[in-house]
Amino acid sequence: MAVRASDYPPPFAACDYVAEPTDPVDERIEVGVLVVGAGPAGLACAIRFGQLLEEHPHVAERLGDVPLAVVEKGKSPGSHLLSGAVINPRSLRRLFRDRYRIEDLPSYGPVEGEAVYVLTRRNALRIPAPPPMRNHGNWLFSLSLLGRWLAERAEESGAMVLPETTADKLLVSHGRVVGIRTGDKGRRRDGEPSGNFEPGADLVAKVTVLAEGTQGHLTGVALDHFGLRSDAPQVWELGVKEVWRVAKPLRSIVHTMGWPLRTSARYREFGGSFIYPMGEDLLTIGMVVGLDYRDVELSAHDVLQELKTHPKIAKLLDGGERIAWGAKTIPSGGYYSLPRRLHAPGLLLCGDGVGMVNVPRLKGIHYAIESGRLAAEAAFAALQPGATPATALAGYDEAVDASFIRDDLYEVRDMRQVFGRGFFIGGALASAMTVSKGRLAIGKLRAEPDAEQPLLRSNRASSYPAPDGRLTFDKLSSVFLSGNKTRDDQPNHLRIQRTVPVEVAQLWVSMCPARVYELGAEAGDGTVTVEVAPSNCVQCGAITAKGGRLTPPEGGSGPEYTNT
Amino acid sequence: MSVLVFVEHHGDELQKGSLGVLAKAATLGDDTVAALLVGGGVRALASEVGSYGAGRVYVLESDELEPPTPQPRVDAIAKLVQEHGFENVLFANSVLAADIAAALAARLDAGLNWDLTDITSDFVGKRPALQDSIVVDVGWRTTPRLALFRAGSFDAAATSNGEPHVEDVTVDFEEHSRAAKVVSQEQEQAGGPSIEDADIIVAGGRGLGAPENFTLAEELARALGGAVGATRAVVDAGWYPYAAQIGQTGKVVSPKLYVALGISGAIQHKVGMQSSNVIVAINKDPNAPIFEFSDLGVVGDVHEIVPKLTELVQQRKAS
Repeated sequence: MAVRASDYPPPFAACDYVAEPTDPVDERIEVGVLVVGAGPAGLACAIRFGQLLEEHPHVAERLGDVPLAVVEKGKSPGSHLLSGAVINPRSLRRLFRDRYRIEDLPSYGPVEGEAVYVLTRRNALRIPAPPPMRNHGNWLFSLSLLGRWLAERAEESGAMVLPETTADKLLVSHGRVVGIRTGDKGRRRDGEPSGNFEPGADLVAKVTVLAEGTQGHLTGVALDHFGLRSDAPQVWELGVKEVWRVAKPLRSIVHTMGWPLRTSARYREFGGSFIYPMGEDLLTIGMVVGLDYRDVELSAHDVLQELKTHPKIAKLLDGGERIAWGAKTIPSGGYYSLPRRLHAPGLLLCGDGVGMVNVPRLKGIHYAIESGRLAAEAAFAALQPGATPATALAGYDEAVDASFIRDDLYEVRDMRQVFGRGFFIGGALASAMTVSKGRLAIGKLRAEPDAEQPLLRSNRASSYPAPDGRLTFDKLSSVFLSGNKTRDDQPNHLRIQRTVPVEVAQLWVSMCPARVYELGAEAGDGTVTVEVAPSNCVQCGAITAKGGRLTPPEGGSGPEYTNT
Repeated sequence: MSVLVFVEHHGDELQKGSLGVLAKAATLGDDTVAALLVGGGVRALASEVGSYGAGRVYVLESDELEPPTPQPRVDAIAKLVQEHGFENVLFANSVLAADIAAALAARLDAGLNWDLTDITSDFVGKRPALQDSIVVDVGWRTTPRLALFRAGSFDAAATSNGEPHVEDVTVDFEEHSRAAKVVSQEQEQAGGPSIEDADIIVAGGRGLGAPENFTLAEELARALGGAVGATRAVVDAGWYPYAAQIGQTGKVVSPKLYVALGISGAIQHKVGMQSSNVIVAINKDPNAPIFEFSDLGVVGDVHEIVPKLTELVQQRKAS
């Protein structure tokens, strides 16, 4: 019988991360609106809420010393942000109306042209860009850079931004979310406090906005606690990308599909690559792979390395130098996987955390920004005299339903059937359908969580190139380039079963782009111990999709992305 | 360009790092270099400090100040700077020195450059950046210039036997300076020199095969008179204590001799030891990255080579 990662669920219970406030009342840190996550959704929320407070100073007064706070687990805002990123500017324009023009933001300009290729090992066939893919009018950004810029704007508008702070527990009192408890710092590997121990603190808020991004820790806890999950499970893709300094500027954005992924349907290797210009001397190249793949030796990092050896792509990078690397998951369940509701008493949910991603269009950032803005308005309305914070937040769901977010996601809801796994995947599926002459039953695709895919092994790793340190790189030197300097002797933040069938262990070892997992001793009965190096972790979240659970390590841990 | 060096001591032993900084300071210009000693029984150390290049040694002798609290030392240095107009105050990095330097920067509104590995005679600092991939020049806009040097940046070589001019210092301490008390001090149990101070380090990696094989590294280190280091992988696996971890998230060392046993040489380890003078690597994998930056590479089994090497070193020492 085929082995599935989901048969070895992680030792994790959402209820362990829901608690009543425990600090004495006078030691709790009280804020008006608390935003978790300094990404596009959270910062848009903070900026909009700041604008509203500026227009209504009497409300600000009522909210006390800290009307608005943003907690961020990374070293600074932007440290954990990674994306393509080709952004539809409509939400940014709306957010900054009369304040900034899109030209004032730190971008690499509008998309000048685009090309789509189907690759084989040696050749590249250019095909016309399918309609959902057209990027005319969209702008090129580094999301990490944009995040830092947005954080400055949020601080200007009065937000207190607290970096290196994790949201560890959801504080719930009488069925209502009343804030978060921040994570402890300075615990040793065995969990005991070290000399530098700093306990977490209760951050108590009138409204808590979770904008944690993909695989958000408390978002997952809240969806379980309040029973908000959709019947359709959330599913993910894993993206690994690099930034290169290149000799010759790239003008157009490029997408590829096909090689090095295998087209045979049984492998479920759905994905593709993106290559985007970043000004005159930089470009970014990334590989995205659906996490419903089956081969235990599949490694998105190594597939990206393989991709770069294609003659057409190696030429773009010739004479260049790799200057950054990173990895992150992308929620790709689309409309059907959205939670039943985006609010609970005292709580609002935004952006990637709840899966606001338009997979066929490869877009999510403008939904994150829009949802953050709408969350700010809903929170503000709930704080008006006479409003009941417990119920007033329902306005947020109504606003999202009335917005282009719901319209856009609804429009492409059934593209799951053809393009349901994104353009790349849809394209691969289309070719797979052609190859199989329609025998491929696409109606059944993506019905189950990523971790439930039966695993197989087909010597996948044999095609990965040996790292040469110039064009292709191993995982450890890549982690180094991510700026990750996580303290080693802190408790392990990755929840997995440590003794599993060798297939599951190999799946994690290959999958993890940061070389967190290694095969340990074999027990002789087909199981193996999984060795874990948690401080390599760049918090991409793939482990949560494939049978484990990522929880936040000590604040300030993880990568320090600057231009991804 | 008057220079004051803060010299740290533990008991009656002067810390090698600060003596190295002192020796470096003595080469910077013609002016007399001054040193400051604070603690109980430090007067007895003054002439030794002189032999490392200090022409003048300020002594703040007080048993009460023996516990290493930073604030009284900040008061003392601030006073010396204000009275004698020192333009440069140099420190060798340590927990205490970093505390003092940071507080002094705030007290004097002075610029502090930290993690320097060298300095020129016209006071341009050299600071490794971007994970040590490049060295940048750093300067100061104003005086006094405060500088904190990375461990092992300079050789602590006695340069003279000249008796320094010893001068007692009296300081009126700020009220808050005496508020902190050291309740207790504990020494980590470790045989031999600490890895930051050692001239010779024998480090072990996963290639040793099992935790008990660390005795190979320990015996060789003992024979060579060096300290034992470890990679993150083996510390993670619980084979060796974290205090011995060398690398990006451990200690950064630059001994005269670094012997790497069964270490592959991932970049995370390399950045912690690449400035060692001589790197010797023994590894059975000829493709291990460590051979790209070692001065002497031996492809072979550590379990066969190291015991013989240890024996040879012992014989050589005995004869």
